[in-house]
Amino acid sequence: MSENYSVIGKSVPKIDGREKATGAAKYTGDLKFPNMLFGKILGSPHAHAKILSIDTSEAEKLPGVKAVITHKDVPTLKYGISPARWDENIFCSDKVRFVGDKVAAVACIDEETCYKALKLIKVEYEVLPAVLDPLHAMDEGAPQVHDEYPRNINTEIHQNFGDVEKAFAEAYYVRTDYFVGQRTYQSPIEPHSAVSIWKDNKLTIYSSTQSPHYFQHYIAREFGLKMGDVRIIKTYVGGGFGGKLEPTGLEFAGAVLSRLTGRPVKTFYDRHEMFAHNRGRHREYMEMTTGVDKEGKILGVYANFVMDGGAYTSLGIASAYYAGALLTLTYEFENYKWDLHRVYTNLPACGAQRGHGAPQPKYAYESHLDNIAKELGIDPLEIRLRNARRPNTVTANEFIINSCELTACLEKAGEISGWREKKGNLPKGRGIGIATGSFVSGAGYPIYRTDLPQAAAMIKVHEDGSAATLYTGATDIGQGSDTILCQMAAEGMGYRYENMKIIAADTETTPHDFGAYASRQTLMSGTAVKRAGEEIKKQILDMASTMMNLPPDDLECREGIIFSISRPNATPITFEEAARRFFVLRGPLIGRGVYVVPRLGGTYKGAAVGTSPAYSYCAQITEVQIDEETGEIDVREIWDVHDCGKVINPMLLHGQVHGALYMGMGESIWEQVLFDDKGKILNPHLGEYRLPTALDMPIIHSELVESFEPAGPWGAKEVGEGATNPTMGCFSNAIFDAMGVRVNSLPLTYEKVWRAMKEKREGITKD
Amino acid sequence: MAQVITDQQGIKHYMITINVNGDDYTRVVKANTVLVNVLRDELDLTGTKKGCELGNCGSCTILLEGKPVDSCMILAIEADGRSITTIEGIADSAELDKVQESFINNGAIQCGYCTPGMILSAKALLTRNPHPNEHEVREAIAGNLCRCTGYVNIVKAVLKVAEEPNDKGVISNE
Amino acid sequence: MYLPDFDYYAPDSLSEACETLDRFGAKAKVLSGGTDIISKMKGGLLSPEVLISLKKLEDLKKIEYVSGKGVVIGARATHNDLVNSKILNDKYLSVSEAAHHMASNQIRNIGTVGGNLCNAVPSADLPPILIALGATVKLVGSNGERTMLLEDLFTGPMQTVIAHNEILTEIVIPEQSLTGSTYIKFGLRRSGALAVVGIAVAVTVSQGTIIEAKIAIGAAAPTPMRAREAEEHLRGNMISDELIEEAGLIASKESKPISDIRGSADYRRDLVRVFTRRALHKAINEGHV
Repeated sequence: MSENYSVIGKSVPKIDGREKATGAAKYTGDLKFPNMLFGKILGSPHAHAKILSIDTSEAEKLPGVKAVITHKDVPTLKYGISPARWDENIFCSDKVRFVGDKVAAVACIDEETCYKALKLIKVEYEVLPAVLDPLHAMDEGAPQVHDEYPRNINTEIHQNFGDVEKAFAEAYYVRTDYFVGQRTYQSPIEPHSAVSIWKDNKLTIYSSTQSPHYFQHYIAREFGLKMGDVRIIKTYVGGGFGGKLEPTGLEFAGAVLSRLTGRPVKTFYDRHEMFAHNRGRHREYMEMTTGVDKEGKILGVYANFVMDGGAYTSLGIASAYYAGALLTLTYEFENYKWDLHRVYTNLPACGAQRGHGAPQPKYAYESHLDNIAKELGIDPLEIRLRNARRPNTVTANEFIINSCELTACLEKAGEISGWREKKGNLPKGRGIGIATGSFVSGAGYPIYRTDLPQAAAMIKVHEDGSAATLYTGATDIGQGSDTILCQMAAEGMGYRYENMKIIAADTETTPHDFGAYASRQTLMSGTAVKRAGEEIKKQILDMASTMMNLPPDDLECREGIIFSISRPNATPITFEEAARRFFVLRGPLIGRGVYVVPRLGGTYKGAAVGTSPAYSYCAQITEVQIDEETGEIDVREIWDVHDCGKVINPMLLHGQVHGALYMGMGESIWEQVLFDDKGKILNPHLGEYRLPTALDMPIIHSELVESFEPAGPWGAKEVGEGATNPTMGCFSNAIFDAMGVRVNSLPLTYEKVWRAMKEKREGITKD
Repeated sequence: MAQVITDQQGIKHYMITINVNGDDYTRVVKANTVLVNVLRDELDLTGTKKGCELGNCGSCTILLEGKPVDSCMILAIEADGRSITTIEGIADSAELDKVQESFINNGAIQCGYCTPGMILSAKALLTRNPHPNEHEVREAIAGNLCRCTGYVNIVKAVLKVAEEPNDKGVISNE
Repeated sequence: MYLPDFDYYAPDSLSEACETLDRFGAKAKVLSGGTDIISKMKGGLLSPEVLISLKKLEDLKKIEYVSGKGVVIGARATHNDLVNSKILNDKYLSVSEAAHHMASNQIRNIGTVGGNLCNAVPSADLPPILIALGATVKLVGSNGERTMLLEDLFTGPMQTVIAHNEILTEIVIPEQSLTGSTYIKFGLRRSGALAVVGIAVAVTVSQGTIIEAKIAIGAAAPTPMRAREAEEHLRGNMISDELIEEAGLIASKESKPISDIRGSADYRRDLVRVFTRRALHKAINEGHV
């Protein structure tokens, strides 16, 4: 901790804390506009069916209904967030592909009329056989979800580095394990919502979005509008976790309804409609094979995946690449081969959910590694120390790792949890498990191919210097980016956080930024903000030098005070004085900053995905108590030790660890989206899609190790998704330690533990 | 009994009076009007949120005569004549309530969507029991789902208030 | 979400409520706390033309002890009323604790015991303990009233013997000399979870012998059920670990669980065995908990 910063590194309270604590914060669903209508979308009741006819006449006659639209009334240009797979339409025209697929929409004077109007729309379907099992989606003769994708293969990946066959041949021990992950859903507490206002040639949409830019880009494209004529505004967002990164039917249909009626239209999803829209985590079938030497050093890995993509691509191509690509981050091995098929099914589309593609493979790999450790008689912490990645290395798939304090994380986790004392010495039914994690600090390449910088920021200092406004496209969805970016702006300027204002995430007023995903904003938006701040500081010091008659490079500015470095007795002046003088003589005091990712990655197919300027690292240990008769899992304590580089705001950082770990926990034991045999979700509500409650939480210890990331602003890296990465594997290993049974599928339910213990007692399965 | 008017379609409309945050409001509602919608749409008190509309998430929590309830599960007409506190009514002046301050200062707020309901559940607990232990705090907020914080800092924030000696911050109750 | 349209009445007295019910017959449903009805209406499972609200019937909210009769719980008492009732805490803490298991604090402040019983969900938390305690219910209609054992109220999942024009007004836990009772719920998370199984027991123990035992099982049959064979196995016998283990096994065999999204039938059956045993130990050793 040799650096002494004035603003960053402090747990300043959130800049929007008061708004949220008083109920004053307006989320999109809270907005009201004069003459506003309400809109809702009609979803398909069938998983796979031809649309024979749509009769909207009855709905149109209902008093209070102002517009009813179907595919005939909207652009038919196919869209999708992944440019390589534009496979969605605003409304289905020939067939529907999952229960809830978009068929029509209405705009009415109130919400109740919308529901009644939807009921009056008569759609004639011819039900088709549906693909509901991803393992059979590629079979000959399986129903085709999209004609353009034979055998329902949405994405196929084959990557090969080094020589895995040779590594296996030379290994002391080679082992293969199979695991299955489950479909989960982000389920943010705030439902999706949008208010669309299309007047003359200008389309303005307020949306619960993670990326005004991507919304603007894709919406402009869909309607053939100039981007400058599309304005996307984010107000407050009640969580996204990956599920609000792409425009939905709410924006597209809402825009058309607004254009037709000439009025603002608020569209929104009910909770069960959110589940149907989905874009959550893929169900993955994972085969892992590893060859190790006698000491447990990994020599080579082969992984094979089948992912259930659902009916559309969403962000699924990236999810598919991340699934295999990120497995090389935590452990060092030169020989790596992996194959993957992401298939279409007639189920809700899957996309990016916190940790994006990586947590389930990590569950598989961490469990697999523990199985190997057990076979070789090596302690699980020890085997990880032997294989842990070191800083300044390159992975087999050519990701450049700068800072990496994984070994320190492992050591510290082992120490604070009492691992060495506890392992093998816990009372009956109690177990301790360990896993490691890592994640990108922003994706090396944006979602669509472009040469736009990743992030841009502007700071405008008020004429009298008593405030400064940060303009950034970065999107605060609850993680606190508004707060830390203001801290970074203030630090860069030598100013005070308390005087910062922020205008963010409005495509008309704020400069370009790709938004909140892949944990990019602290590093990428932060670098742009830091540069903007430094540009302000340079101008301030230039001005101050004329006022103090000292050379600019003898001056420093800190917490709004400008002083001489070499002459401590020289009278300082204030930032305000210098700023005001600047405005009088030179006009507006503006600072600009931009962040461009250096070119990263190898040249093989798909090399771009998984690249990042920096990677976070962590180790998690958990202690569980299993009820031997019922399989009930009591999670008692979790220790998470993170390497996330320089910490900008400790309170917010630990909050991110808590939250990421919470989601990992939920997905480990409780959460799963379940379907009936017709592809309809059985539990699209929060009574049976079980999020952990306050009573279900263990004691959580969130700690850090010292780290500095050269590619990050002041050495910072990500933290928001890294803590979800190890959790499922960690729990699987703790249960294994407690009861000697391995549950090979997620979620690790009480019943599965009970059944595994029963089978073990009856001698049906080994370990 | 609430006054009834029948409209041209034969639908009945009822006049109700509810006391919200200390003031009486008289409004006309239908039998199927849900309380959360009256608060948000009629009275513009959008601090009370809709998260699931089925009583599972607690983001619509209000205090009905001091007791936390899910306002999405109550008909407006059933609340006729009763008194309600929403998040907007927690602080009786421009100064923030202790629980609100503690939430802000202890990192208990991330996206903020569960926050109003959470604060009301915490407030009701502290009014009933000014010095709860951790288990009691968790119990009190078990009906408020949070997707962001893992409840860690929320529990911390409430316990911080619980540690303080008795003060004001008592809601007009039952 | 929205609720379909309906007519609403809030009668001033029980007799007026019965008359109103008579007027509309099967078109009407009684509204107590409303959590089940509103939930079903929003989900499209129920669309009554008329709701008759009991909100003005203050008498039905009371929880009283009537000497010679027992503890009388008004049908409109909320679950939290049961949790906080001094009378129940003193006499049958197991009932307060069982009420505490239901849903969440917010729902417990709205949902009533009467509404919960009438909804007749097999996994409800109150029926097992009330049945084990020999509770009776009173049904009132305009042609009179009738009383029956709670365990005779249920005929199937969401089905009861209550006629269209009857209102459940009170539950009575009769005077009895039990030495202990308890309800154990096994759910998939610690709040807001339906029981995967729920076991209630009530025992009278004297000098190491089980004089009387009642075992009621929830969520493991189409209705809450008594495990009569298991009870018979215990009655009149000396307490021992083996005896209690056997009772659990017998109760398990008597249960008729199905597989659903919360658990498989064989899992539930084994849980019945485990929790019958644990509940018996608790009730025998700890009193009314």
